[in-house]
Amino acid sequence: MVRHSVLKYVRVRDYLRSLVTHELAVGDAIPSERLLCERFGVSRMTVRQAVDALVVEGLLEREQGRGTFVAPTKMDLEVRLSSFGEEMRRRGMEPSSKVLAAEEVAASPDIADALDLLPGEQVFYLHRVRYADGEPMAIEQSWLPSRLAPGLFDDGAPASVYGELRRRGLEPDWGEDIVAASEVDSQDADLLGLRTGRAVLRMTRRTFAGDTACVYSRSSYRADRYVLWVPLRAPRRALTPTPATEEAPRAAPSLESEHS
Amino acid sequence: MTDQAALILAALGGVANIIDIEPCTTRLRSEVRDPARVDVPALRAAGAHGVMISGHVVQVVVGPSVDTLATDLEELM
Repeated sequence: MVRHSVLKYVRVRDYLRSLVTHELAVGDAIPSERLLCERFGVSRMTVRQAVDALVVEGLLEREQGRGTFVAPTKMDLEVRLSSFGEEMRRRGMEPSSKVLAAEEVAASPDIADALDLLPGEQVFYLHRVRYADGEPMAIEQSWLPSRLAPGLFDDGAPASVYGELRRRGLEPDWGEDIVAASEVDSQDADLLGLRTGRAVLRMTRRTFAGDTACVYSRSSYRADRYVLWVPLRAPRRALTPTPATEEAPRAAPSLESEHS
Repeated sequence: MTDQAALILAALGGVANIIDIEPCTTRLRSEVRDPARVDVPALRAAGAHGVMISGHVVQVVVGPSVDTLATDLEELM
């Protein structure tokens, strides 16, 4: 029971989406409102609604008095264990940073927990704005246990934290990200050149080298420039207790478990 | 490694407390009968990097060794 006008708006929006992704280039103007009204037999209001949706989504950009254009493509950020700098270079962009803080501090309980430390143990704290080709992309706070990288800040803040770990024989090889959608706060908005209240992707990451928790970080990525790309695979079969085991814990494995 | 699987299984309340254990990329995600029988400090002592309990679901962060652990757990169950 969807109202007909809603369907009309969806048709215009999806037509524009396909046009943007398959026929137009970044910076191209989209067809005029009048043309779209004629093509779909809809009102100007319906067309505006469709265009608005794609502006909010970040596919289109409106420029005062000039028209509506295809916005720069968002970067697909794969959820995987590589640093911001490595990810940007892979895309042929030059990474850089502005260091807001680089100091040694006592770990607060949440930081200690994430790094398998006790509260109060010393950690290096790095707070940076990350740029790609000079444009601010993300704000990143990271913490790492002092004992893993003595003298980390002796020559100033390092360009690459993962690089410094590797130099010390710690190869980051697994981790976990938690990603949440959020509005940017006013301080981060200034640093990222965004208006207050725009969307960011908040990523919380624990990085491990084998059994050693080596970095904990919290980042805010501009949602107008990033999408997340997540490779998926079907889950492994769940393990369930075999009935024989429940009755007699020492029973030989059943045929079923031998074949799995 | 089998030791670690046995310790984790015991900390989850033993086989009798397990409904199932699903090996994920970095976690063992287990549904248990009685969450009160799950011993979080014992899981941490067995090498878990984190334990999240929500209702009857217990997630144990173990890292990529999850594959080896799953094979060992299967033998113990």
